[in-house]
Amino acid sequence: MTRQQILGWTQRNGLFFALAILIAIFSILSSRFLTVPNFTVILLQNAVIGLIVVPGAMLILCGLVDLSVGSVAVLSAVVFGQAMASGLGLPVSLLIGLAVGAAWGAFNGYLIAIQGFSPIIITLGGLAGARGLAEFVTQGYTTYGYGREFAFLGNGKLLGVPVPIILFAIVFLIGLHLWYRAPLGRHMIAVGGAKDTAAEIGIKVKLIPFWLYVASGLAAALGGLIIASQLDGAAVTIGTGMELEVLTAILLGGVSFTGGRGSLFGVLFGLLFVGVLSNGLVQVNVSPYFEQVAIGAALCGAAALDMLYQRLERLNVPVENEPIEAPQAGEAR
Amino acid sequence: MSAPVLELRSLSKSFGPVHAVKTVSLAAHAGEVIGLIGDNGAGKSTLTRMIAGAIRPDQGDIIVNGRKEHFETAQDARRAGIETVFQTLALVPGLDIVENIFLGRELLLPGATGRATRTMDVAAMRQRVEEGYQRFGLNLPDMRTKVAALSGGQRQVVAIARAVLWGSGVVVLDEPTAALGVKQTELVLSFIERLRSHKVAVIFISHNMQHVMRVADRVCVLRLGRKVHDGPMSKLSGTDLVALMTGAATAAQ
Repeated sequence: MTRQQILGWTQRNGLFFALAILIAIFSILSSRFLTVPNFTVILLQNAVIGLIVVPGAMLILCGLVDLSVGSVAVLSAVVFGQAMASGLGLPVSLLIGLAVGAAWGAFNGYLIAIQGFSPIIITLGGLAGARGLAEFVTQGYTTYGYGREFAFLGNGKLLGVPVPIILFAIVFLIGLHLWYRAPLGRHMIAVGGAKDTAAEIGIKVKLIPFWLYVASGLAAALGGLIIASQLDGAAVTIGTGMELEVLTAILLGGVSFTGGRGSLFGVLFGLLFVGVLSNGLVQVNVSPYFEQVAIGAALCGAAALDMLYQRLERLNVPVENEPIEAPQAGEAR
Repeated sequence: MSAPVLELRSLSKSFGPVHAVKTVSLAAHAGEVIGLIGDNGAGKSTLTRMIAGAIRPDQGDIIVNGRKEHFETAQDARRAGIETVFQTLALVPGLDIVENIFLGRELLLPGATGRATRTMDVAAMRQRVEEGYQRFGLNLPDMRTKVAALSGGQRQVVAIARAVLWGSGVVVLDEPTAALGVKQTELVLSFIERLRSHKVAVIFISHNMQHVMRVADRVCVLRLGRKVHDGPMSKLSGTDLVALMTGAATAAQ
C-alpha cells in the first residue's frame, strides 16, 4: 500500500477502531459492560438521537444545519398531548404530532433552501421559537396518561427488540440506501461541495435541501413522540440539548461541517462512540460530571485528527500524476 | 458530404448597442474538429453560449440533426445532443471520475423496483466508463480517483470525456487549454485528436493558434462579431490566421 492508501484507510476506519478500543477498555474494567442487555440499553438510549441524526447528517453533507430539532420534538409531543387530551383519539393525535414536525421542517426548508436565508439563524430561531410555542400551548400544564397502545411506541418490544431501536434501524437503513445506493447521495455531496456546479448540471439544489428539512422535522417529531411515550407524558423538558447531541454524533462521525464530505457509517460510529463512552464511564464509576468533559474532549480530538488528515492529504495531492517520461539524469537543460 | 450534425443559420445577438455576433453561419459535421478562433471580443463566447443554450439568439436558427431547436436552458441543449465544456469544467472535486461523469444522469437498475427505489446501477456505470477509457485510450488514473486529486489537464480530459461519453453529436470546448501548462496541454490536445475518429463534431474555441493548427481540420475565424473566414486548416499558416483575426487580411471566402 502506498502512503496515500494507508492514510485514506485509517481516515475511513479510524473511528471504528477508536470505538473498538473503547469497548475493549470498558470490557476489561467492568464485567457488566460487554453484555447483550447493556448494549440494548446503549442502543435504546441513543435510538431517538439516532433517527434524527440520519436526516441531520444529510443536511450537514449539503452544507446546511438544523438546530431546531429538540424544540420541534417537544412541540410535536406537546401538540400530540393536547390532541389526546381533547379526545381526538390516538391515530389522529399521532398524525397531528407528526404533521407539526413536517410543517416546521417545511417552514425551515422554504426559508433556507428556497429563499436562501441563513440556516443557522433560521433554525436557531426555531430552537427558541418552537420551544416557546410548546410552553405557550401547555400553559405550564403537562398532559399525561395516554394509555397502553401509545406506550408501545417507546417501551414495547417486537421479537424481543425494543420498538425505538427497530424504528432507528429502519430509518438508518433507508438513510444508507439513499446515501450510497441512490443518486441522492452524490447529489448531496455536489450540493454541499460545489453548489454552483451542481445547479449548472441540473441537480435540484433547492428541492433536495427542502425535503431534507421536512425529513428532519418529521424525524424530530417521531423522536419527541417516542420520548413522550417513554415518559407517558408530554413534558416541556423533552428534547432539551438534543440538537447538540445530534451535531456531536454527526461531526464526531467525520461529516465536514462545511458540507460535501462524510459517510453515514462514520455517523453511526460517532453515535455509538458517544453512547458507549457515556455508558462505560457510568459503569466504571467515573463521576457523571466528567461524562460531558469526555465527550467534549472526543469531539475536539476528532476535529484535530480531521485537520491533520486533511493537511497530510494536501501534501500528497499530485500536481502531475499522469505517466510522463521522467527527464533523464544529467539531461541538458 | 453527409448532412451536418449542427448547423447555425445567420445567428445574431446584440447586447444593447453592441452587436456581439452578426449573422454567423456555421455547419459542423461528424468526425470533424472545427477551430473557432478570434481575438478578445470577436464574439467567440457569445456564440458558444448560444450553442450551449445559456443565452438565446436574437435572430437566426440552430439546427441539430436537421431539427430546428429553441434552447431555453443549458439542459435543453444537452438533451438535443450538444455538450459544452466551459472553462469552469462543472466537476465536483469531492466525487470520483465515474460519479462526476454520471452526475445528474445516474443509471438506475432496470425494472420497476430499480426505478421505484431509485437504486443506481453502479456496475453498469463503471463498465460504461471503463469502455470509454479503452475506446479513447484515456490517459487517466483509476476511475475511482476523486477529481480533487487530479491535475488541471486531467480534469479537463474528464470534462471532455463526460461530454463525449454521453454520446452527443456535438462537443463544444471553450478554451480547453487556456490555463494549462505544456504537459497538461499535450494531454488535452492528444485527447481531442483522438476524438476525430469517433464520429463526434468538435468545436474547439481558442485564441492559441498553435493549438488550433494542431488539432483542427477546419478553421473558422471571427472578427468583431462576423465570420471572416471558414476553410480547411491545411491551406493556412499561422501568419494568415493572425492576419485574419486582426483584420490585416480579408479572406477570399
